[in-house]
Amino acid sequence: MSGKKTTGVCTKPRMTLQHAIEEASRCLLCDDAPCSKACPGGTDPARFIRQIRFFNFKGAARTVLGNNPLGGVCAHVCPVEDTCVGACLRTGIDRPIDIDGLQRFAVEHGRQVGVKALFRGETARPERVAVVGAGPAGLTAAARLAGLGYAVTLFEARDAVGGMLRYGVPASRLSEADLGADVKEVLELGVEVRAGRRVEGKDGALALLDQGFAAVFVAPGLWKPHALPLPGRDLDGVTTALDFLALARTDAAQAAALVKDRNVAVVGGGSVAMDVTHVSRELGAKRIYAIALEGMNELPANDRELALAIEDGVVVMPQHMVKEIIGRGGKVTAVTGVETEWIEPGKLVPSNAREVEGTSFRLRAGAVVQAIGQGPTDAVRGLVVAATLKNGLLAADEATQATGVARVYAGGDVVRGAGTVIAAVGDGKRAADAIHEILSGRTEVAS
Amino acid sequence: MKRNVNLKVSFCGVDFPNPFCLSSSPVGNTYDMCARALDMGWGGVVFKTIGLDREVSITHPSPRLNAYHNLPYRVAGLQNVEQISDRSTKDNFADFARLKKDYPHKGLVCSIMGLTHADDWAELAKMGQDAGADMLECNFSCPQMTVEGTGHKVGQDAAIIEKLTSITKSACTIPVMAKMTPNVADMVPQALAAQAGGADAISAINTVKAISAVDVETCRPLPNIADRSSPSGFSGKAVKPIALRFVSDMAREPRLTIPVSGIGGIYTWIDAVEFLLLGATTLQVTTAIMQHGYRIVDDMIEGLEDYLIDHGHASVHDVIGKALPHLADPSMLSHETQVVSVIDHARCVGCGQCYLTCRDGAAQAITMNAERRPVVDEDACFGCLMCQHICPVRDCIGFKTVPHHLFKAVGSTGCHC
Repeated sequence: MSGKKTTGVCTKPRMTLQHAIEEASRCLLCDDAPCSKACPGGTDPARFIRQIRFFNFKGAARTVLGNNPLGGVCAHVCPVEDTCVGACLRTGIDRPIDIDGLQRFAVEHGRQVGVKALFRGETARPERVAVVGAGPAGLTAAARLAGLGYAVTLFEARDAVGGMLRYGVPASRLSEADLGADVKEVLELGVEVRAGRRVEGKDGALALLDQGFAAVFVAPGLWKPHALPLPGRDLDGVTTALDFLALARTDAAQAAALVKDRNVAVVGGGSVAMDVTHVSRELGAKRIYAIALEGMNELPANDRELALAIEDGVVVMPQHMVKEIIGRGGKVTAVTGVETEWIEPGKLVPSNAREVEGTSFRLRAGAVVQAIGQGPTDAVRGLVVAATLKNGLLAADEATQATGVARVYAGGDVVRGAGTVIAAVGDGKRAADAIHEILSGRTEVAS
Repeated sequence: MKRNVNLKVSFCGVDFPNPFCLSSSPVGNTYDMCARALDMGWGGVVFKTIGLDREVSITHPSPRLNAYHNLPYRVAGLQNVEQISDRSTKDNFADFARLKKDYPHKGLVCSIMGLTHADDWAELAKMGQDAGADMLECNFSCPQMTVEGTGHKVGQDAAIIEKLTSITKSACTIPVMAKMTPNVADMVPQALAAQAGGADAISAINTVKAISAVDVETCRPLPNIADRSSPSGFSGKAVKPIALRFVSDMAREPRLTIPVSGIGGIYTWIDAVEFLLLGATTLQVTTAIMQHGYRIVDDMIEGLEDYLIDHGHASVHDVIGKALPHLADPSMLSHETQVVSVIDHARCVGCGQCYLTCRDGAAQAITMNAERRPVVDEDACFGCLMCQHICPVRDCIGFKTVPHHLFKAVGSTGCHC
């Protein structure tokens, strides 16, 4: 341990039993606890922390995973400052409880001592249910439906399940092992996975109903990266965040070839942009720039992500705009741009940005990564024609995830736009419960 | 820094530079240990209890200790199965004599225990006096002596205490202190017996006979000594309230005129002041030292000095027994007034623990308002102050005194059942 480290650390060390007991003892054990009301996925931290406090460690694991089969994953990737930790009342005394750390402890300790939190429904139901997309929403819905006794088939276009968790989130934030541990429990419920099977085409979801599925949950995610129509965008070395992050997880050597020993210009100031800067740092990039239209306090990335970027030595450039990508011999060599300001303060849309005269900049860059969001792929557009909105997202009911097309439900990013894992988990739970309501005859199918 | 206060206490005519002493235990087992403690500021030592090794050879069961943890805090209490000193009688008295030579101005107390014959007490008393002891302490109270007819069996029997004290006393000219067991319903008869036998002081309490824990996986009580355990001496923080009670009982007893050395869960200067206020003159410490080392006496001394200065006292003797007039039989407690909780919303963080405890353990007098702040129904509040006790925020919940809601001149028993 000598010398200055060059890469920031984005995961906390795992809590020991002793540390967990100490941290749980700090909890105020609030009545009607705000942390438990702050989770879009219905996690009940107040309960699992109290279980740890009273040495009911196995119960804590059951509480986390019983509510959210991706509870282990979420302990790593949740933006907790915006949810449970942000709501913690202990903050009024000194500092909030490390809820994500305790959740991770609960899950990992539980698994270590053989806790099984998910069970197949005791009564097998005759209906088959199809889930399209094995990301957070799809995996959650599949687990819950299997837990209710349904025969679930999980269609996944890629080779392996996980969606953004496997192909988007950097491995240093969520390891293969941590993802695998949650996924394994889900699949052990008897969920049939059809990987490499893309469901597509006009009303492709409805076609599944014709094949005998009693209901369909559509959660294919958003996999088409947005890209600014910048001059030079076709140069070698210009890519998008989605492509770059997926490459880093599937072929790290090739991803490294893109950024190693090069300056990297990342366009964007959100969580994904910060993931790109961190992975670039890990893969040996030289200077890394994060260039965003938003002001420093307006960046969509949260404080923890920004702190990591600073630790990584990323040069964050708020209120800057890239105007052109320069190349030589077909390869990117630089980006040029200008400082910006908002025409109308607080309105954070590109059309509201105006260039500040006399502020043009030029950065040497051997790679450019656009991280400005993503939308549905063409294959996803029209899976449920009647529910498809103008921007390609699907319309779904907030309480039931119903699309308005009978027996077809939708959730995750394809409904809400790029969102958090835990929000997608919430969608999967709601959809599964609504499907069960209908298939078990408790609610009439809307025609 | 010269401070205008002196912690010196006079106890049975023996001067202690301060009231803080090692109690008879592993912390005062050898010359080296006692010397280190005295160098670090302790006012005196009660050397680990010496018996006659020609009569009984002492060995200790192992493991010797088990802790009662109040996690995440460790060692809320400590159970031991240790016997009296396992060293040779000769070595112990040689160590003691050396201590006396090197530390003539400290309070050096020699703890003794006869094992088989009443005359042992006389022999040991004489040996202690010859070794230069300022005082003797008769150990009538060890709860786990493996030698039949010793330890707290002696201490539970007033007649035996009187007899053995008398034998000890008649064999020496130095003051004799009798160490009491708390494993009795009332300590006063035993203390009076010791006084009748000629004791010059009482020390209390020895350890409380207890079981600190059971290993639920193996179904073995702890400490597990080759598959067996015994209820045995429990000490430390958890016993302080019991010790304070016994010390005050003796200090309040008009027939008992000899002074008391207080023992039991003393960790800080505040604990020390509590014992002094309830009538102790010297103070003895073991478990806190076992947990944190001799160094803790620094903070006890500095804290006690500050306390005396801040309260305008020149001497420790000024505060001894100062809280006693405020103790009374439960039947004498006032039922004319009561308190009701007053909650400072500016400090409150809204956790609702007070609401929960009042709802499930008290008067259902607290409701949470729309801003998550507790509101006390003063007519319903019966003034238990449990809300104050559990509130995690310092100085958030206080109280005010009001006429008792249910005051009746007769009929109230004060019982909490």
